[in-house]
Amino acid sequence: MLNAFIQALKNLVSKPVTLQYPLAQDIVLPPQYRGLIEYSAEDCIFCDKCEHACPPRAIIFFQEENGDKVYRYNPHLCIYCGECVRACPKPEEALWQSEKKQPFAVRAENVNSEWKVWEERCHSSREAFAAAKKAKKAAKAQSESVQGDL
Amino acid sequence: MKKTVEIPLGSQHISLLEPIRFRFHCENEVIRDVDADVGFVHRGVEEACASRFEFKQVGYVVARVCGLCAITHSLGYTLAVEKLLHVSTNERIKYLRMLMVELDRIHSHMLCLAHTSENAGFEALFMQIMNDRELIMDVQEALSGNRVQFDYISIGGVNRDLSVEAAALVLRNLALLEPKIDELFERFTNNWSLSLKYRGIGALSLEQAYMYNTLGPLARAAGLVTDVRLETDDFPYAQVGFEIITERGGDIYARNLVRLRELKQSMQMVRNIVEGLPEGAIQEKTKGKPEGEAIARVEAPRGELMYLVRGNKTSILERVRIKTPTFSGIPAMIEIFKGSNFADAPAILASFDPCMSCTAK
Amino acid sequence: MNKIDVSLENVVETIKAFYDPAAHHFLTLNALRAPEDQIELEWIFTRYGVIEEPTVFTLTCKRDVLIPSVTSFIPSAIMSERETVDMFGVSIEGAKRGLYLDDDSLQMPLGRCRV
Repeated sequence: MLNAFIQALKNLVSKPVTLQYPLAQDIVLPPQYRGLIEYSAEDCIFCDKCEHACPPRAIIFFQEENGDKVYRYNPHLCIYCGECVRACPKPEEALWQSEKKQPFAVRAENVNSEWKVWEERCHSSREAFAAAKKAKKAAKAQSESVQGDL
Repeated sequence: MKKTVEIPLGSQHISLLEPIRFRFHCENEVIRDVDADVGFVHRGVEEACASRFEFKQVGYVVARVCGLCAITHSLGYTLAVEKLLHVSTNERIKYLRMLMVELDRIHSHMLCLAHTSENAGFEALFMQIMNDRELIMDVQEALSGNRVQFDYISIGGVNRDLSVEAAALVLRNLALLEPKIDELFERFTNNWSLSLKYRGIGALSLEQAYMYNTLGPLARAAGLVTDVRLETDDFPYAQVGFEIITERGGDIYARNLVRLRELKQSMQMVRNIVEGLPEGAIQEKTKGKPEGEAIARVEAPRGELMYLVRGNKTSILERVRIKTPTFSGIPAMIEIFKGSNFADAPAILASFDPCMSCTAK
Repeated sequence: MNKIDVSLENVVETIKAFYDPAAHHFLTLNALRAPEDQIELEWIFTRYGVIEEPTVFTLTCKRDVLIPSVTSFIPSAIMSERETVDMFGVSIEGAKRGLYLDDDSLQMPLGRCRV
């Protein structure tokens, strides 16, 4: 009982333990903090493994008509588990987890609905590309069979 | 004339951390009957696990069931899937998993003790315990890379190794915490408000504990010998110095004592794990798709956590059943409330350490 | 795990004969969708304080029958029974709806047929 009283008096005169964030002090992130996922297009081999591994589907590739793929990443959807980096055949070169803090989502950026539009466009681009490929293959097979008939 | 008065507690109440609603039927001061409503935070995790996510991703989904016991949830799921995939992990992986679970137990028990002291009118002690708890949170952040969402355990192993600096940090912070826990022990046993006042309040007898299938610290405080660490052989707990802790009485005081003694034991176990960490790889190779049915049990800070997983050789699982500790504890909680004073209800509730996100999943 | 098949008629008697409150711990009641509009129910038990595989009583029956309750001798089973009623849309003796779901929420989320 007495100890508690003494401790309470000590606490009365001691400094506060909470941080003055963000005015006076900044939060120091520990080393190896699991932060933003970063990507380098030069090293990527476009195997889509990260896209399949991602639990919240925060990585999506956009398929262009000429066969190229464009990487899309949503830091606000990402859960920073690092599963994509472990799935990547070239970790630390093509895809790696940085120690940077994730950005805050503000209303003006319209992150949710914009990402939904992107998701939709990525999926439809994939489907269109697959359909075009199939049509090309069919046309090729047809022309081959026509040649065979002649 | 009607004899009882209905008084609600929750779903928003000053003594509650999470939404739960009790409706007490009181006769004057004494609670005669209780209705509990627990479904405020139902998110359909079981459904999501069996439809939207592949079995490799589900471990990260179930970790989001609860913030405090995220590590035990992912561990329970991973153990069940590893049984289906016939993966056996090496000793180092087992030790690292145990390390995280025990650290989790320390900070969860400290949170509960903080809330019990707050409900005894000890705001300052609440702040002090929460401050000391940061020592363990820092360790967990350094080990896993995040403060709350650890995402440390994956199927076949763990995601990070224990570096030399992290091991040093664990031992240093434990050494800092040790005297503070001793002080807490003294405070919880000798302080008038925390010891005498809590003796005999919210008592659960051993017969009731058996009758209502209680688990975790709630059962051990009543003298029921049940601990999943004792009842399963998934982890070498005996090697790191685990012994079951039971108390008698089953009141709030006994529950606090069980938690304090478990805290001390967990700290000793963490020390043993860090000092005796075996060599080995941190990831085992896994292949194939889960097939069949497996049950895995883990001792979460609040009691037994069970995962039942059934797969049918596809990436999407057929069923993931989560049985959380608070969920099975609610009938016992209702029984304890009957016959107590209404004024004691918040303190009794805090001593259960209820976790509503777990319960409603 | 040790599986014991039971039928709708003898489920309560079998579990009652097996269950000893001082030794057995009732884990949970689990349910699964089975083909042909059936449901598979599993009552899972373990023992206190010893390493032992769980004992599972399984019952497969039609979805629309009234399933008997074990709450008369295992009072804590009420929670999992109410959960099963909510999630699978089955009826169990004495278990009310509405543990997790409201009247206007999507009913029996786990009992629906997945396409």
